[in-house]
Amino acid sequence: MKRFKTLVAVLALGAAASALAAPGTVLRNDKLYSQPNAASPLAGSVAKGTSVNILAKQGGWLRVSAGRSTGWIRLLSVRAGAGGLGGAGLGDVVGAATRKSDPSRVVAVAGLRGLDDEDLKQAKFNAEELARLAAWQETPAAARSFAAQAGLKTAKVGELPAPQPAQSSSPWGGNE
Amino acid sequence: MKFGPMILAAALVAVSGTAAAFDFGKLLEEGINQELNKKKPAQTAPDAAQSAATQPPAKQKIDAGQLGFALFGDYSPEEETRIGRQIAGNLLGAVPLVHDDRLQRYVNQVGEWVALQSGRKDITWHFGVLDTEDINAFAAPGGYVFVTKGLYRRLDNEAELAGVLAHEIAHVTKKHHLKVLKQSSLIGALGQAASSKAKGSDQVVQNLIGNGAEIMARSLDKNAEFEADRLGIVLAARAGYDPWGLPDVLQDLAGLPPKDSRTSLLFKTHPLPADRLAALGEAVGSRLDDVHGKDVAGRFYRIR
Repeated sequence: MKRFKTLVAVLALGAAASALAAPGTVLRNDKLYSQPNAASPLAGSVAKGTSVNILAKQGGWLRVSAGRSTGWIRLLSVRAGAGGLGGAGLGDVVGAATRKSDPSRVVAVAGLRGLDDEDLKQAKFNAEELARLAAWQETPAAARSFAAQAGLKTAKVGELPAPQPAQSSSPWGGNE
Repeated sequence: MKFGPMILAAALVAVSGTAAAFDFGKLLEEGINQELNKKKPAQTAPDAAQSAATQPPAKQKIDAGQLGFALFGDYSPEEETRIGRQIAGNLLGAVPLVHDDRLQRYVNQVGEWVALQSGRKDITWHFGVLDTEDINAFAAPGGYVFVTKGLYRRLDNEAELAGVLAHEIAHVTKKHHLKVLKQSSLIGALGQAASSKAKGSDQVVQNLIGNGAEIMARSLDKNAEFEADRLGIVLAARAGYDPWGLPDVLQDLAGLPPKDSRTSLLFKTHPLPADRLAALGEAVGSRLDDVHGKDVAGRFYRIR
């Protein structure tokens, strides 16, 4: 939620976007509901690839507007960021805007390069740091009491089966 | 995946190149197939490891024990821990831990609680925040889980942290890195067998994992990432957290500029966030509609 608000502010400032919402792209054909609840009346439907504006978030739902329709869609059916399904596109614009408007991120982006293969390849065993790591280890009993303090209660949730692939293709592609 | 073992076996045949090569290659192929396609490794592991190691053909030309860690059996919990310890120690050589006891303790509390839901009781879990602005998270066998400061900073509540840690915990419980090691170690095994005199030493482990912590820069199978996402959501939900923590983080990453250097390694080694969200969407559907966890935003520890 906070994140989307930030994005809204960034877009308004940096890219002078007129829409007061974070952009998103629909990842699969899905329905819009009038409430964040699949039992609520339908408010419309959106096709894969549709650009939407993300207006709000609640649990596993996002309130979006697409054209003239506004409604709640499953969080996992939308990707944040514009630029369609390809991904790139406006991402760079948003990034540029972020860098300009958020001083804490200027350092991160300009001053430091990311961790790369070579860093990891050249790494030498650091026993001292490993010992520090071990010192912070928690016991199961302490973890249980930590969870209880926040009122966290275990829930029975079954594993999610892997979705069946829509089409099985040869690993050799078209070269057979 | 299916043809992987064939290629490995073929490569080993080419390396050994003697009259015995054919049999050995065939043996390897059978062993690898057996190991990689095993449905329930935990239940059959000890028996399979023993019987495979004592199979007569292995004794004929090559002592399977010489190849270092069990190529044909599962790694024992002790071996898994030693491998993970070496990788974690090397990773910490590349990037140190954030010097903030409260932060590290907090992450261990959340991580241990989530890991308790995984059902793996043979593991001692260690969690650490790495002092880099790079945006990433790592898991090594034996229960070593790391999140970078760069990623941690982007989190908004404890459920999101739980989701990220749960994804990494899932890699450990599903032994994804061990499977990669098993495959790649077969290629180098013959060459290293001669030089690894001190069996059981850390040098043997280092030989197995390659240079430094480079295995952390290697991609897992795309399906292993999707599997870790699915199990990650489930573990966080079982722990009582809002299951949408991990998807929320993926949404955040999806909105980052693709060429940001802080995410170059992450996006090189993982499917893009949009693809991960879409795959999760297919798997989740309406299954979690009745799961209502907590996001525990109130006590989320913020880095100074």
